[in-house]
Amino acid sequence: MKRRSPGAALASASAGTLIAALVFGGACDRVAYYSITGSTGAGPDDDGPSSAPSTIATGPTDVTRPMVLSGIATCAARLYGDVVDAAATFDSAAALFEASPTEENETKARAAWALTIGLWQQAEVLRVGPAGPATLPTGQSLRDYVYSWPLVSRCLVEQSIVSQKYDDESFPIAGLINTRGLYAAEYLLFYEPSDNACSASSSINTQGTWAQLGNQELAQRKRAYAAVLAADISDKTAAIHAGWTGSMGFGALLAGAGGGDSPFESDQSALNAVSDGMFYIEKEVKDLKLGLPLGKTAECPDTTCPNAVESVYARVSRDHVRNNLVGFQRLFEGCDAASEAGFDDLLRTLGAGELAERMSTDIEAAIVTADKLASADLGGLIERDQASVEEVHAAVKRITDTLKTDFVTVLDLELPATVEGDND
Amino acid sequence: MIERVRGWLRAHMSSPRDAAGLAAFRVFIGVLGTISALRFLHYGWVDALFVTPRFHFKYWFAPFVEPLSRTGMVTVFWIIAASGLLIALGLCYRLAIVTFLLAFSYVQLIDVTNYLNHYYLLSLLALLMTCMPLGQVYGLDGWLSARQNGLRPRTTLPGWCVAILRLQIAVVYTYAGVAKLTGDWLVHAQPLSIWLSARTSLPLVGPLLAEPWAPLAMSWLGCAFDLTIVCWLSWRKTRPWAFAALVMFHALTRHLFPIGMFPFIMVASASVLFEPGWPRRWLPLPAATAWAKRPTSGPRLALGGAALALFALVQVLAPLRTFAYGGDVHWHEQGMRFSWRVMVREKNASVTYLVDDLRSGRTVEVSPRAYLDARQEREFATQPDLIAQLARHIARERSGKTGSPVRVRAEVLANLNGRRATLLLDPNVDLANTHESIAPAPWILPIPEGQPSLLRASR
Repeated sequence: MKRRSPGAALASASAGTLIAALVFGGACDRVAYYSITGSTGAGPDDDGPSSAPSTIATGPTDVTRPMVLSGIATCAARLYGDVVDAAATFDSAAALFEASPTEENETKARAAWALTIGLWQQAEVLRVGPAGPATLPTGQSLRDYVYSWPLVSRCLVEQSIVSQKYDDESFPIAGLINTRGLYAAEYLLFYEPSDNACSASSSINTQGTWAQLGNQELAQRKRAYAAVLAADISDKTAAIHAGWTGSMGFGALLAGAGGGDSPFESDQSALNAVSDGMFYIEKEVKDLKLGLPLGKTAECPDTTCPNAVESVYARVSRDHVRNNLVGFQRLFEGCDAASEAGFDDLLRTLGAGELAERMSTDIEAAIVTADKLASADLGGLIERDQASVEEVHAAVKRITDTLKTDFVTVLDLELPATVEGDND
Repeated sequence: MIERVRGWLRAHMSSPRDAAGLAAFRVFIGVLGTISALRFLHYGWVDALFVTPRFHFKYWFAPFVEPLSRTGMVTVFWIIAASGLLIALGLCYRLAIVTFLLAFSYVQLIDVTNYLNHYYLLSLLALLMTCMPLGQVYGLDGWLSARQNGLRPRTTLPGWCVAILRLQIAVVYTYAGVAKLTGDWLVHAQPLSIWLSARTSLPLVGPLLAEPWAPLAMSWLGCAFDLTIVCWLSWRKTRPWAFAALVMFHALTRHLFPIGMFPFIMVASASVLFEPGWPRRWLPLPAATAWAKRPTSGPRLALGGAALALFALVQVLAPLRTFAYGGDVHWHEQGMRFSWRVMVREKNASVTYLVDDLRSGRTVEVSPRAYLDARQEREFATQPDLIAQLARHIARERSGKTGSPVRVRAEVLANLNGRRATLLLDPNVDLANTHESIAPAPWILPIPEGQPSLLRASR
């Protein structure tokens, strides 16, 4: 696999992108461990005229499902470790900004937020383990505490500013998911006007409590609220990381799927659970982050809906999409040079080398297309140069079409077992 | 000649046969029906399949079937469970089997994506059993009635009871075998190759499945099994071995695939191919004696015979209808249902609807997700008639909301048995303008030429 040039990413990146690319470029990109000569790992993959490129990338041969699961566990622990470090930095920066509200500290707090969410977006495709839904083994739904998007509400955050619920001792446990996490922090750190998004009939407007705050008090409360959220994000990400690591951590359970201690009855069922998360790039990335603002979906009442982008305040929606794709790439190809096997290696072992190559190419192409966007502000870009964002959407759709058809077929991936069938 | 055949048939179909085997069959079906219903209740499938989904796919012949409220659906499943129990006991049998047939068929007709061959089989068997006085043979009905009247309980049934059940089971196995007579199955070992390569970590059989010859060997064995097992079970000399093979076969498929009650229903159903009095080997049952009230002629018998013949004809001919469409049934799916094509394809698809507003000229993409849950989406995406059905629903809903006429097209990428995904439907056709019909659908594109992929096994 080819190492992506950091230059291409940096050229168009915002501050958030810059930091993420500088700090994590090495970790996210794959080192060239696939040769492009020969086809030692690939077998016949009779797909007709369009199959079998003349050069088939090769990786570790005889890759097994447990090897892929082990690779995913290692990569996830590493990624969450990076998230924990970033969240701790964000915690410190937000606390400093609260204590000393200088422009410099504000910039640091914003940069630390961008760093944290940049990494978090890569982890979004991991929908298993402590971050995953409570219906899955060891799932605690901690993801929603860190970043609940698309379940977000600016008005609820503003009501919390007035009520100062964030100061309650019970807030880390009882606070609503759409009043906390990285979305709320983004609003608190990046949105400067003093208006609110609540309706005129909302109590903070009818009772005048919002207006009574005044600009200075509002700014002070936003800083205090952001500091509380940053500390909570730090705690939650640490809990997720801790849940993945250790001899009885989720990583070990995943890698040992089919064994006595693992809640997964087989490596195939574990692979199913992991692959379910990969569909994040279809529903959330293709349809919500790109399709909705582009006006491609019926939920957008107008020709386009640029205000429906993900990052409304920091305006880094492109970086979020890009990081989602990078996270998907890490999952598909493995995150580290020769040591971690990915789905692509398993496909090659199974004899579907052409499919592995096609998906890798499509993923890379989507990332490059996102990198080429002239701005990280997708909303503004849709108004100025809609076609360029359409290209990203089309590139992501190429991946999701293959994901839903050839990928799940070759690996025989199923939905989580809910009902019986006789496949007819 | 015709008279001789009629005479033979009449004699054969009306002659008394030991009912012990059919009584055992009644117990099996009743117990399995009860277990099936309890599984639905226990695993929350009532909610998942009937309550939660916002949209249900209708059968063209039963568009009026709607799910009840949650309480109603749960009640229906308790009714199925209770009637199954009564069937097994042979108590209030007529009422129980009719109730079971109606309730069980009702839940199967609610949503096409719930279609399973073995549940269709269970409905057919229940239909046949409604015509048989099975409660009177070794059942509580017979025992109570005999006690009341001071007569010996009934121990025989007319020959047609066994004959029609045997025919039904033979139809299932034979057409399941015929469905495997394809290049994909016999030459390329697909889809078994895909399925087995994902199951090589299973205990005991896993290492065997990883052998390169395993998918092809199992494909040929599976095909031969389906095509011939009825003969081996019907022949007394081979029956014990054939039944052992049958149990092993279904135990293996149960071990390998999530096929629920299918193996149990098929093993139980195989018992109708045994000697009619087979339970006597193990149970001290009263001897079979001919029952006095045995009508040998008359309009009732003629009507019954005609109905039986019609049923048999439909069962034999219906699975053949797919050949009238031409092409690959596993691709176009016309004639796929009710044809016993069990476990013969691995197919996945990605569906995106394109809704053109004819007034504004705007086109929006609509994901099936907006209407379906994940299970429904996966099931419907490979079935063109269901894709068209949802398209018509989307058209009605969208034009109702906007007041503007719409066109609904679908971009459907599908793959079959590991072939590279390609367009299944013509993306330019307005599916909203199609109609539910058994006529060939010209908007289904032909399967692309090429062979399925060859995969190797890996743990």
